[in-house]
Amino acid sequence: MNINENPIFLTQKRLVHRTGVLAAVLIAALIGLSLLSGLIAYLTAPASFGFYSPQEAGKVFYAWIIGVEILVLIIGGFSRTSKVLADERKAGLLDSNRLTPLKPSQIVIGYWFGPPLRELYMSAMLAAIGLVIVLLGQLPLMLWLETQVLIASTALFLGLLAVLIGLVVQRPQNSAIIPAVLIILLPLFSFIMPKFMLSNFLLPVFPIVNLFDNGEFADTSSVRDWSGWPEIFGVVISPTLLSLGLQIVIGFFLWRAAVRKTAKPFQAPLLRWEAAVLFGILAFAQQGLMWGIWRGHFPHISDGTHNFSDEAPMLPIVHCATLLLGTIALAFASPQPERVRVEALRTGVGNLPLVFSRSALPFALVLLALGGAALFTQCAAAISSTWTIFAVAAGNLLDFFLIFVLLLEYCRLRFGRRANGFVSLWLFVLCVLPFILAGVFSESAVGRLSLLSPGVLALANSEGSSDYGSADPHSLLLTVLAQFGIAALLFVAWRNQWQRLLAKAVAVPPSK
Amino acid sequence: MPAPLLAIEHLRVDFPEVVAVNDLCLTVEAGDVCGLIGPNGAGKTTTMRAVSGLQECTRGSVKVAGHELAREPEELKRRLGFMPDFCPVYDQLTASEFLDHFARAYDVPHRMKRIGECLELTWLTEKRGALCEELSRGMKQRLVLAKTLLPDPQVLLLDEPASGLDPLGRIELRKLLLQLREAGKTVLISSHILTELSGFCNKAAIMERGKLVMSGTIAELGQKMGRRRMSVKWRNAGDQALQILKGAGVKNLDTAAQGATFEFDGDADALDGLLKTLVVEGVRVTEWRGSGDDLEQIFLQSGARELM
Repeated sequence: MNINENPIFLTQKRLVHRTGVLAAVLIAALIGLSLLSGLIAYLTAPASFGFYSPQEAGKVFYAWIIGVEILVLIIGGFSRTSKVLADERKAGLLDSNRLTPLKPSQIVIGYWFGPPLRELYMSAMLAAIGLVIVLLGQLPLMLWLETQVLIASTALFLGLLAVLIGLVVQRPQNSAIIPAVLIILLPLFSFIMPKFMLSNFLLPVFPIVNLFDNGEFADTSSVRDWSGWPEIFGVVISPTLLSLGLQIVIGFFLWRAAVRKTAKPFQAPLLRWEAAVLFGILAFAQQGLMWGIWRGHFPHISDGTHNFSDEAPMLPIVHCATLLLGTIALAFASPQPERVRVEALRTGVGNLPLVFSRSALPFALVLLALGGAALFTQCAAAISSTWTIFAVAAGNLLDFFLIFVLLLEYCRLRFGRRANGFVSLWLFVLCVLPFILAGVFSESAVGRLSLLSPGVLALANSEGSSDYGSADPHSLLLTVLAQFGIAALLFVAWRNQWQRLLAKAVAVPPSK
Repeated sequence: MPAPLLAIEHLRVDFPEVVAVNDLCLTVEAGDVCGLIGPNGAGKTTTMRAVSGLQECTRGSVKVAGHELAREPEELKRRLGFMPDFCPVYDQLTASEFLDHFARAYDVPHRMKRIGECLELTWLTEKRGALCEELSRGMKQRLVLAKTLLPDPQVLLLDEPASGLDPLGRIELRKLLLQLREAGKTVLISSHILTELSGFCNKAAIMERGKLVMSGTIAELGQKMGRRRMSVKWRNAGDQALQILKGAGVKNLDTAAQGATFEFDGDADALDGLLKTLVVEGVRVTEWRGSGDDLEQIFLQSGARELM
C-alpha cells in the first residue's frame, strides 16, 4: 500500500494540517532566513564580523541550522509521535484501527510518518535554507548531504522508537517523559571521550561534528577528540557509516517490535533472542570502540597510534552502562506473573520448569555471557595476569543481573501493582545507600558493599586513569562472592512465591 | 443445520485475582439478535472484547462464520464489527472524515456512497460536516455505530450501544436493529438496562460473575423460568373472571380495577386453555399479556440479580 493510501497516515496528515502548519513553517523560515542574512551580511562586509573565512562563517551559520533541525525534527517529532500514539491508544482509537483489516505494518507506518509531519515541513524549510548557506559559504556539498542524511536517519530511527514507546507506556504523559529522559541520558557522556562512546553514534553527535572538521581539530587540544575516524576492534570506519549501520540494525529490531506489539498487544514487544542480539550488538560495539585503547591488554594502554591521556574512567562507565542496559532488557523480558499463571491454567502444568522457562533468570545468564564476552575482548591478550579483574567484573555482572531479576519477579509476585516501588527501594538500598553511608561516616569500605562497586573498582585499575578508588581485585572477588548470598536468599523467596501462585493456578483443570 | 455465525466455546478470560469470563459457551445464528444481559462486572464487555480479539483468552475458541479467531484473525476482522461501550473518535475530524478513515481501512467499495448511507442509517446526515468534538455523546455513539456498520459486517458486537442515547435515539436504535435482524445480520448486544433490549432481541444470554447463567430464545427462557407472570384486563364480568382465575393454577393474584396480574404455573397450552375459558364464560378480555416473556422478568427470575 502506497503511503498516500494509508488511512492512518492520511488521517494523521489531516489532523496535523487541521491544527495548522503554515505558522510553524514560517517560524522555521524566519529562523533560517535570519541565519542566512547573517552570512550574507558577513560576505558583503567581512570586516564587521570575527570570522577568518567565508567557510568558517558558513560552518557557524549552518551548524545553527542543524541545531534547530535537530531540536524540531528529532526532539519535537519524537515527542509528538509517542504522545499521539499513547493518546490514541488510551482513547481506544488504536484498538479501532487494529480491528480493521489493515496490516500491523501499515498501522505502524501510518503512525511513524503521520504525526511528525509539521516538524518534517519545518525541517525541510531549514534544510533548504541550509543548502543555500552551504553554497554561499563555499562549503562542500557533501557536508550538507551527509548531515541531512544523518538527521533524516536519526529522525526515522527515533520515530520508530517513539512508536514503540507509544505502544507500551501505561500513561500518555510518560510518552513525553521517556523520550526526554532518553535524549538527555544518551549524550550524557558525549564529551568525556567522544570517539569511544557508542551513544555519540547512535545519536550521530560525533559524525556530525566530525563532518565540520577539515583537519584543524587535530591541532586544537579542546576538540582533538572529535577529529579522525573511530575504530571498531581496530578497524577504521567512517563515522557516518557507523551511525547509519547502527541505526539500521537497531531500527530493524524496533520495527519488528512495533509491528509485533501492534498485532498482538498482549505479547512482549521483543522476543528473547531479539533482546539478546540487541544487547550483544550494543555491548560489542561499545567495547569495540574502546578496544584500541588497550588492544586486549587491559589495564596496560596500547602503544599504538592512540594518544590516550584522558583520565576518564572509561571502562567503569561502560560497565555501569552495561548494567543499565541489561537491567532494561531484563525488565522487558521478565514476565508478569499473571501471564505465567494464565499459561499454567491453559496447559494445566504449573511447576518450576515452567517458571524457569518463562522467567528472565536464564536470560540473565545469556546477557552475562554476552556482556562478559564483550568485556573479555579488552583483556584477552593478557588474561593470565588480569583474570581476577575480569572475574570480578563478570561476577559483578552476574550478581547484578541475578539479583535484579529475582527482586523484580519476587516483588511482582508479592506486591502486585506496588512492585516497582519496592524494586526501586531495594535497588536503592543495595546500590546507592552504601555510598551515602560511606560519605556520612567517612568510611570508604562501606561504599565497597554496593552492588555496583566491585566491577567499577576492578575496572578502574587502568594505567591511564587516575585513582578512582581502585582496590585489590582479590578482596573485590570476595565481595562478589558475598553478594551471591543475597542472590541465594532472594532465590528461595522467589521460588516460594512462584510455587504459591502456581498451586492456585493448577487447582483449576485445563479445558478439554 | 447451518453452522452458527457466531460460536463461542468454553471461553475463559483471566484477570489478576478474578476470572472475568468462565467457561462461556454461546452460539448465535444468522438473523438472531441476542441480548447479553448481566449486572455490572458480569463479564459482558470482556466477552465482547475477547470475541473481537482485543482481549487475550486463557482458553476456549471463538468462531465467526466458521473462521476461528486464533487461526484466521484476518478473516474475522472482515466479518465482525465491534462497537465499544465508549466512543473512540478523532475529535478534530468531521463525522464524514472519521467514516472516510475507516472506509479506507476496510477498503469499502463506493466509499462516499456508503458513508452517506451509514450516516443516514444513524440519523447523522445533517452532522456530516461537524467536527467530532462538537457532537454530543449520543451523536458520537451513533457515529461509532455508523463506523461499525460501514463494512457491512455479518456479525455485530454492540456493547451498551444505547447508553448515551436520548429516548428518541433509543427508539431509532431499536428500529435499526430490527432492520439489521431482517437483513440477516447476527447481533450480540450487551446492556444492563433491560428495557433497552426488550422488543428486538429474540435471544438472550444471562451472565453473572463471568458465567453464563442461561441462554436461549426469549420464549425458551420464559418457559425455563417455569412460573409466568401474566397481566389481564377485561371490560365486564370482573367477579366471574376472578373466580375462573382462582381455580386454574393461578398464584399470587393481584386484582386491579378491571384487571389483574398473576403468576401461572402451567405450560403454554394450559395458559391458552385459561384464556379460552374466560372468553367462553363471557368475559370480554381487552388485554392478555405475558410479562414473563420480557427480559426484565426473565433476568429477575434467573437468580442473576444479586449484583444489581
